[in-house]
Amino acid sequence: MADGATLTDDALRAEVRAWLAANWKPLPARPAGPGGAGWTTTQEHQAWLAKVVDARWAAPRWPVEWYGRALPDDQARIVEREFAAIGAPGTGQDRTNLWANTALAYATPSFKTRIVPALLKGEVGMCLLYSEPGAGSDLAGIRTKAERQGDHFVVNGQKVWTSGAATADYGMLIARTDWDVPKHRGISFFFCPMKQPGIEVRPLRQITDESHFNEVFLTDVIVPEENLLGPLNAGWGVLQTALAYERSVMGDNARGPRSGVAESTEEEPLIALAREAGVLGDPLIRQEIAKAIAWRKLNALNNARAKADLGQGTSSSIMSLGKLAMSRILHEEARVRTLILGAGSLLEGKDYPRAEDANFLTLNAYFTSIGGGTDQIQRNIIGERVLGLPKEPEVDRDVPFRQVRGN
Amino acid sequence: MVTQREEVVTAITAEDRVALTDSLHRLLSDTSSETDVRRTMETPSGYDPELWRQLAEMGVVGLIVEEAYGGAGAGPVELERVMEEAGASLLCAPLLSSGVLAAGLLQALDDEAAKTRLLPAIADGSRIATVALTGAKGGWTAADVAVSAEARGDNAWALNGVASFVTDGRSADVILVIARQLDELAVFEIEPSAGGVTVKALSTFDHTRRLAEISFDAAPARRLATTGPVWTAVETALDLARIALAGDEAGGARRALEMTVDYAKTRAQFGRLIGSFQAIKHMAADLLLESESAISAARNAATRLADGAPDAAAAIALASFACADAYSQITATAIQMHGGIAFTWAHPAHLYLRRARADAQLFGASAHYRERYLKELGA
Repeated sequence: MADGATLTDDALRAEVRAWLAANWKPLPARPAGPGGAGWTTTQEHQAWLAKVVDARWAAPRWPVEWYGRALPDDQARIVEREFAAIGAPGTGQDRTNLWANTALAYATPSFKTRIVPALLKGEVGMCLLYSEPGAGSDLAGIRTKAERQGDHFVVNGQKVWTSGAATADYGMLIARTDWDVPKHRGISFFFCPMKQPGIEVRPLRQITDESHFNEVFLTDVIVPEENLLGPLNAGWGVLQTALAYERSVMGDNARGPRSGVAESTEEEPLIALAREAGVLGDPLIRQEIAKAIAWRKLNALNNARAKADLGQGTSSSIMSLGKLAMSRILHEEARVRTLILGAGSLLEGKDYPRAEDANFLTLNAYFTSIGGGTDQIQRNIIGERVLGLPKEPEVDRDVPFRQVRGN
Repeated sequence: MVTQREEVVTAITAEDRVALTDSLHRLLSDTSSETDVRRTMETPSGYDPELWRQLAEMGVVGLIVEEAYGGAGAGPVELERVMEEAGASLLCAPLLSSGVLAAGLLQALDDEAAKTRLLPAIADGSRIATVALTGAKGGWTAADVAVSAEARGDNAWALNGVASFVTDGRSADVILVIARQLDELAVFEIEPSAGGVTVKALSTFDHTRRLAEISFDAAPARRLATTGPVWTAVETALDLARIALAGDEAGGARRALEMTVDYAKTRAQFGRLIGSFQAIKHMAADLLLESESAISAARNAATRLADGAPDAAAAIALASFACADAYSQITATAIQMHGGIAFTWAHPAHLYLRRARADAQLFGASAHYRERYLKELGA
C-alpha cells in the first residue's frame, strides 16, 4: 500500500495509471430515475466502485483505517485527474460524497463501520429529509419530532423537496428531540431507514410539470439509536457540515434543452435564437440580448477571479455572490427568450420546441432563486457575512421552541 | 476596436505593480482627500499642480509612455489598477487626457519627431496634452469628427471647425486634433496659443472633470505622420482610455459602496442600526454584485488587451458598459441608502454620482457599447 507521506507525485501518478490500465473498462450508462431524477445504479457500476474502494482510491485523503491513503489535497487531485482523464468514476469521494463524509465525521462506531463502505460503493441509495412545509427558509423551525423509546427513536412528521425518496435506502433526517430549548439546540440528525411501513412518498408535481421531488410523510417511523449522528440535540452542527459538503459539490446543473431540439453551439444561444426568429436586427432586442450575455460573462469572470484569489490564499468575498448572480442570469435569459419569441411563446408542446424551452426556463429559473436558499436569504448572508452588516433581530432565537409563534 | 495585437512588452513586474498601486494609494490618501477634491474642483484649472508633479515623479503620469521616451513603459494592466485608485479618490487631474489619450495616440502614430518632441514632456508632467475628436454631439466615432483641415502650402495646414467635450482642454498646452482633410482623417498638433484657436471652458455637471469647446478659425497646425490608417491609431488610444475609464469607474464604485455600507453600520433609526434592516441590507448585497462585476470586467479588459487576445475588443466593450452601468447604479442607490444626509452638498455621495454620470457618457453611452459588444460576438 502507498505511503502518502513519502510518495512522490510522479510515483503516485504512475501507480494510479498502472492500476487504471489493469482494471478500468467503460461502464454502461446509468438509467434515469423516476421523473428524470433520483438514485439509480447498475451492477457494473457497483462492481467498479467496489474495486475502487478495495484499492483505496475512493477517498485518498481519508485515513488509512477508513479506506483512504491519507494523501494531501494536491496529491489527491492527481488521482482525481488520472481518473477523470479516462472518464472513470469513483475517486474523490472524500470531497464529493456528501453522505459518506457526513457519516465518517459523525456516525456511531458500529453504524459507521457498516454504512461508510456501503456509501462509497454506491450500495445504498440516499435522500435528504430536511425541509418541511412549515420550515423552508427557517430550517431550524422544523416540527418533525423524534422521541426515544428504548433502543430506538420514533419519528412523526412531514418532509418536502426530497428527491430520490422512492428509491432511497436511507434519508439524512433532521428532527426535533427537545422542545423546551431554543430552536437550534433541540434538533438531532439521523440516518433514517426508508424501507419501512411508516414512510409514505408522494411525488410533487412542479410548476414545470415535472416531478423531481417528493413529499415524505413519516408515521411512527423507527430509527435505531445507533443511526443518530453526533450527540443528541447537536444535529444543527451536523447539518452545517452536511450543507457545506452539499454546497461544495453543487454544479451548475447543466442540462440540454427541455424540448430535446438542439440549439446552436456555434454562437451565443440568445443570438442564435434571435437570428432564427428573424429579430436579430431589432435594436431593442439587441440591447436586451447584450445585457443578458454580459451578466453570464461577468459571473464567469467573477468566479475566475474568486478562484485566483483563493489560489493566492486570500479569501474572496465574491464566492457567495455566485448563486445570487445565477438567479438573475436565469430569470433574465428566460425573459429575453420570451421577448425574442413574442407571440410564439403563447404555445407549448413538441411542435413548438423554442416556446417549450423558453416557457420551461421561465418557470425553472425559480429552482435557483428559491431552492437552496432564496435570493432574499442569500442577500441576508451576503449582507451579514460578507459586508459585515448587523444581523436582523431574531425574536425566536433564545426562546424555548415550544413557545415560538406557530407552535 | 482592437486592431493592434503586437505583444505589449511591459517593463513592470507583478511586484512593481503592487508597489506602485500601494504608493499611489498612500499618496492619494494624503493629497486627494474629500477636502482636497473639493478645493481643487473649485480652482480654474481643476487640478493641483503640486499633486500633478508628485504623480509624475511616481511614474503615474508617464505610466504607459515607453521607456525610450522617459515613461515607465507599463501596459493596460498597470493602467487599469492605477485608475482604480484614481477613481476611488475622485482624483482631479488631467491623467486621462495627457497620460492616456494623448500619449496613447502619439505612440500609435509613426511620427518619430513628434514623439521625441512631446512624449518626454508628457511623461514628466511638464506639458499637458489632450485629444480633440468629437463635435457637438459628443460621439467618439469617425463620423463625429467636426474639424476640417486644409493645406496651406508646403507642410502647412489650417484647421477650421469646432471640437467639443475636449477633456482638460483649458489646461492643455498641446492639443492633438483629429480632423478631416479631404476624404481622410489626420491628426494635427496645435498649441492653444496659436492664432485662430479659441478655448472655451464648458460648465460641467461633474466638477472633478474638465471639458472644453475648442474653435478653430484658420488655425495653423502641424500634421503628424503615420503609415497606417489614422482611425486605427485613434481606436488604439481610445481602447486604452476606455480601459482607464473602466478602472476609474470600478474603483469609484467600490469606494462609494464601502462608504455606504460603513454608514449603514453606524446610523441608527427605530433603535436599530439601519444596516440590520433587510430593506438596506438587500440593496447593499445587490450593489456588491455590481461592484465586484465592474472590477472583474475592467481587469479582464486590461488583461485581454495586454495579452493581445482575439476577444480583447469584446472585453473592452463589455467593460465599457458594465463598469459605467455599475458605477451609475451604485452611486445613485448610495444616495437613497444614506437618506437625507446625502441630499446635502456637504456630503460626498453626490460627487461620486456626478463622476459616475460623466464617466458613463464620456466616450459614448452604454447602449453604444452594448451594440458594439454584440457585433464583436458576431451578431
